[in-house]
Amino acid sequence: MPKSQYVDPAKAFEAGYIHFEDIPVCQYNKTLKEELKLYSKEDMVRIYRDMVIIREFETMLNEVKTKSCYNGVEYNNPGPAHLSIGQEASAVGEAYCLDINDLSFGSHRSHGEILAKGLSSIEKLDDKELYDIMKEFLDGTVLAVVEKHMNAGGNVKELAINFLLYGALAEIFARKTGFNRGLGGSMHAFFIPFGLMPNNAIVGASAPIALGAALYKRSNHKPGIVVSNCGDGATGRGPVLEALNFASMDQITKLWGMDGKYSDGGMPILFNVFNNHYGMGGQTRGETMGFDMVARLGAGFNPSQMHAERVNGYDPLAVIDAVSRKKKLLLEGKGPALLDVVTYRVSGHSPSDSSTYRTAEEIEAWKAADPILAYKEKLVLGGIATLDELAKINEDVTKRMTEVMKLAINDEISPRMDLNKEPDAIASMMFSNQTVKSMEPDREPDVLMPKEDCPRVKEIKGKVRTATDANGKPVSKMKMYNVCDGLFEPIIDKFYEDPTLIAYGEDNRDWGGAFGVYKKMTEAIPYHRFFNSPISESAIVGSAVGYAMCGGRAIVELMYADFIGCAGDEIFNQMAKWQAMSAGILKMPIVLRVSVGSKYGAQHSQDWTALCAHIPGLKVVFPSTPSDAKGLMTSALNGTDPVVFFESQRVYGFGEEFKKDGVPEGHYEIPFGEPDIKRAGKDVTILTIGAVLYRAMEAAKILEEKYGISAEVIDTRSIVPFNYEKVIESVKKTGKVLIVGDACERGSVMRDMASNITELAFDYLDGPPVVVGSRNWITPSFELEKSFFPQASWIIDALAEKIMPIPGYVPTQNFTEIEKIEREKKGI
Amino acid sequence: MAIAVIMPRQGQSVESCIITSWNKKVGDTVEKGEILFSYETDKSSFDEAAPESGKLLAIFREEGDDVPCLENVCVIGNDGEDFAQFAPAAESAPEEAPKEAVAEKVEEKVEAVAEPTADVVASGAISPRARALANKTGADLLKATPTGPNGRIIERDVQSLVDRGLTVSGAASAEYTAQVEGSGINGKVMLKDLSAAPAAAETAVAPAAPEYEEVKMPNIRKIIAKQMCASLTTMAQLTLNTSFDATKVMELRKSLKAGAEKMGLPNITLNDIVLYAVSRVILNHKGANAHCLGDTIRYFNTVNLGIAVDSPKGLLVPTLFHAEKLSLSELSRQAKSIITAAQGGSISPDLLAGGTFTVTNLGAMGIESFTPIINPPQTAILGVDCITRRLKEVDGCDVSYPAMGLSLTFDHRVLDGADAARFLKELVFKLENFDLLLLV
Repeated sequence: MPKSQYVDPAKAFEAGYIHFEDIPVCQYNKTLKEELKLYSKEDMVRIYRDMVIIREFETMLNEVKTKSCYNGVEYNNPGPAHLSIGQEASAVGEAYCLDINDLSFGSHRSHGEILAKGLSSIEKLDDKELYDIMKEFLDGTVLAVVEKHMNAGGNVKELAINFLLYGALAEIFARKTGFNRGLGGSMHAFFIPFGLMPNNAIVGASAPIALGAALYKRSNHKPGIVVSNCGDGATGRGPVLEALNFASMDQITKLWGMDGKYSDGGMPILFNVFNNHYGMGGQTRGETMGFDMVARLGAGFNPSQMHAERVNGYDPLAVIDAVSRKKKLLLEGKGPALLDVVTYRVSGHSPSDSSTYRTAEEIEAWKAADPILAYKEKLVLGGIATLDELAKINEDVTKRMTEVMKLAINDEISPRMDLNKEPDAIASMMFSNQTVKSMEPDREPDVLMPKEDCPRVKEIKGKVRTATDANGKPVSKMKMYNVCDGLFEPIIDKFYEDPTLIAYGEDNRDWGGAFGVYKKMTEAIPYHRFFNSPISESAIVGSAVGYAMCGGRAIVELMYADFIGCAGDEIFNQMAKWQAMSAGILKMPIVLRVSVGSKYGAQHSQDWTALCAHIPGLKVVFPSTPSDAKGLMTSALNGTDPVVFFESQRVYGFGEEFKKDGVPEGHYEIPFGEPDIKRAGKDVTILTIGAVLYRAMEAAKILEEKYGISAEVIDTRSIVPFNYEKVIESVKKTGKVLIVGDACERGSVMRDMASNITELAFDYLDGPPVVVGSRNWITPSFELEKSFFPQASWIIDALAEKIMPIPGYVPTQNFTEIEKIEREKKGI
Repeated sequence: MAIAVIMPRQGQSVESCIITSWNKKVGDTVEKGEILFSYETDKSSFDEAAPESGKLLAIFREEGDDVPCLENVCVIGNDGEDFAQFAPAAESAPEEAPKEAVAEKVEEKVEAVAEPTADVVASGAISPRARALANKTGADLLKATPTGPNGRIIERDVQSLVDRGLTVSGAASAEYTAQVEGSGINGKVMLKDLSAAPAAAETAVAPAAPEYEEVKMPNIRKIIAKQMCASLTTMAQLTLNTSFDATKVMELRKSLKAGAEKMGLPNITLNDIVLYAVSRVILNHKGANAHCLGDTIRYFNTVNLGIAVDSPKGLLVPTLFHAEKLSLSELSRQAKSIITAAQGGSISPDLLAGGTFTVTNLGAMGIESFTPIINPPQTAILGVDCITRRLKEVDGCDVSYPAMGLSLTFDHRVLDGADAARFLKELVFKLENFDLLLLV
């Protein structure tokens, strides 16, 4: 909603038609003579070799899966193997066009792409670069195996092919010498130095991630393009469609670079659909989709129709022709692009697929059209290679594959991680725990004015940093430094410190975020670092993941915490998992801001900390004061781990009530995991999560003044990680603890903490740790909220009913054991 | 007009007492001065006499109950009179109290809950924290009134036991269950207990002559056991033995026997003489008149003599305060009074503490020397032995004389051997010249 673009009612209602351009369908028809002008003989033969390598690699996996034996070598592989036999020409054709700066992302069926892009990169890198890459990777672990046990005849490229095949296979067989120490496996293998980005076992999940990689290139002016590979089945997934739309946003060409300084054109991404006709067993054309041809989708996303085209994926040269034309467009700033590469998966979805959904006749027909055989015929008939020469290639490949397999299954040469000897081997990879203030310290950040001139920075300078003045009078809301300011300060600082930092989400720019955290930042930070995203939560979070994989830092916002569900896979499977799945190769410096609402009913008022805390690999914090917001945001932005940063709409406008000297000026970190004693006491401990802190303070006041009970209030601030020491110390003193938060109590973080406190301080407890959370209902309307969210009186009720009856106190809520059993019986 | 009989407070340090036996039951007529019930603290036992004549209308506390001091125990009045108002539960009435500071009022209410009330049903549950506190303090959980949810004993309930002084009387809980065997300190109770039914029942159960008899250690025995063990395990004790020529002392005794009554003097014993001599010598040897308190030593400027007394229930050590200021006859009178009280079991608990040095005498039973055990935190104890005839050379001839033995045990942490020997040497000199000492 930039003001620069006037929404004119007259134009909005103007009569007319939408015109479409024709979308080419399998239009490639070059003759051999024409092709020979384009490719050298060596290139043509190498294309053959690469297809044969992929075919043999997958044949080997298929033999191992179905017969536990390949070429006389026995092995049992319990892990998955989603093969793409039949799709080799598509993979090799695409990879032929990509160079080292071009990144490719794929799916669970990506062995072919990995090998094709790897082989292409090996060809394009000079020997020294190539050798250095292999030597540096995982301290030369992978290289050492192939150097020692395979003969490459002193040829670095041959050595590199061994390296690629062995690294990928060892990874598939979960060996410590695999590309990701066996932690990624068949569906996730990748090798960044060759431009081979992570592949994804969640269908379609790579699309928003690849989008993020393109965003990284676009926002940081990096060379190269990004290819997002997926199958035709994936086009039914929301994240894929969100990514297509996000990449096509008008603002990239219309608004980014309005300032005249930072214009690079459209998103440099090619959405490449390997259209093998089936999403597992569902036939996309004719059964599960209505688009007839995938290429039609392009017409729905932007006027250039994403330059969509349908190509014969059984002909590597047709694929090369198409991909190279799309790449050219992308490099010209005319992205994004879409390709519908028609191919066929002769192999089953997995080795257990009995192909009940297709006829033997159909499979035979496609086998007859085998791309490798067809290409071989072309080479021989065209006089480019003899049958013998090609047979020699096949023979060599089989020999090499057998050798690689023997190495990869040898437990001494290719051991698995020993979690008995190194019990923390995986634990140590869950978080990178680094402090990296700038992801690219040598580059000047793109900004529109000096920081001091930013209107918001000026405004904050004049604010009072405490909630009350020297006389104890409340500071006027307008003049008071509040939680929003506490969040803003470290963010604007980071924009001027780390050139890779970008921030986006719905209504972030002109609106300043729905709750005003980014207010008046527009003037200082250019569009390509700070923009409004479409309402596409999957694409917002997924792109941040891709952005971070490339080495950038992102702060993305989902407005309401309730929208976490819309980005479930991106948060829980992508953002959380990739550091460990990459064996620590990737860093994930993402801050995901989510805001817990109130007043807005059942779908806009939920504290979902428990969902995030449950997933290994995410850090979760929930500050409630301006000082804590600032300190924790600073830590989050300096770190290299994914952080789900919970905020509360109840307290955005709150000033600093706990620190006498107010919110500290300048840069300071509050370490993750350290709870804070907001009020000291001796009789009972109240542990709070989020904005309920203020209700706990109220309860503590009542307990002190009316009942002579001294409560210690501890604000958890962080949820993952969490240091229990301070809490246990307090519980040892008081013997009584209530854990309070706005989340529905069942399965909450509060319950988890209560359980941990019971384990850690059992002998000191004078009663069970008691959870005071919201009811297990829908959040009702604002007028009824007091019966849903925990109130100060509930805290006292719970203390009196479950831990220590208070003489003269009459509870309003029923916290008795009988009631508890009844509620649980009913599931409410 | 009905009146309530309260549990008296026997000394400042006592917060509650255990009723050991009732002499009367509800409905009995009682005369003023008749014994109503017997009770004991952890140190001694007492009888409570009826303050007025009348009918025993109500008994609120049973034998074995631990009753906070000043709380109503029973009611005496005329037939048909209402006594409900005296029931202990009705005592606290914080609601009627004038409005004071809110917090204070609350404290009061919390206290009130912590007091035992009739309608609480114990579930047997106890919080881990409450149990830990009970273990640490030795609080008697059988006496706890649960105030936690569902009858759970929680920390404040145990703290209330501790506050009511029920920590050191943990052993008393055992006496609850064993109350049929009876075991008051008071001699009367003991006699009654001895002829009580359970003993007979025990023999009935075991017709063959029992080879042994198992008797629960009475409280006082447990305390003595604990004190003695603590004494021997925490101190570096050793004993010096010597004797003095008691000729002059014996002469003094002789002349006293003849003339004491006429002079209005008490019957001054040899022990009184030793006590007197100690009181005059010990301030010159401050290490012996001291308390060892871990890192610090407290030297006293006054002499509070503990006198070990063989009471029917066991060893008691009443204290003779400011002995250095007493004349021999005053000292003798006071010593007799407290010894008698201790032997009768009715001594005030306040008189069973505060000693700075102890004298114990086994001489009357013919003991020639022994190793007394120090009463902590004191640093020394003097044992008085019997008189034997010894020979000494006087002008070349062997002369027989009465030699009275002294056995001084001291804490080597505080005193060295020479310090202790110097103390004994001066004591011997003063006793051998006791006639002169009296002139000082």
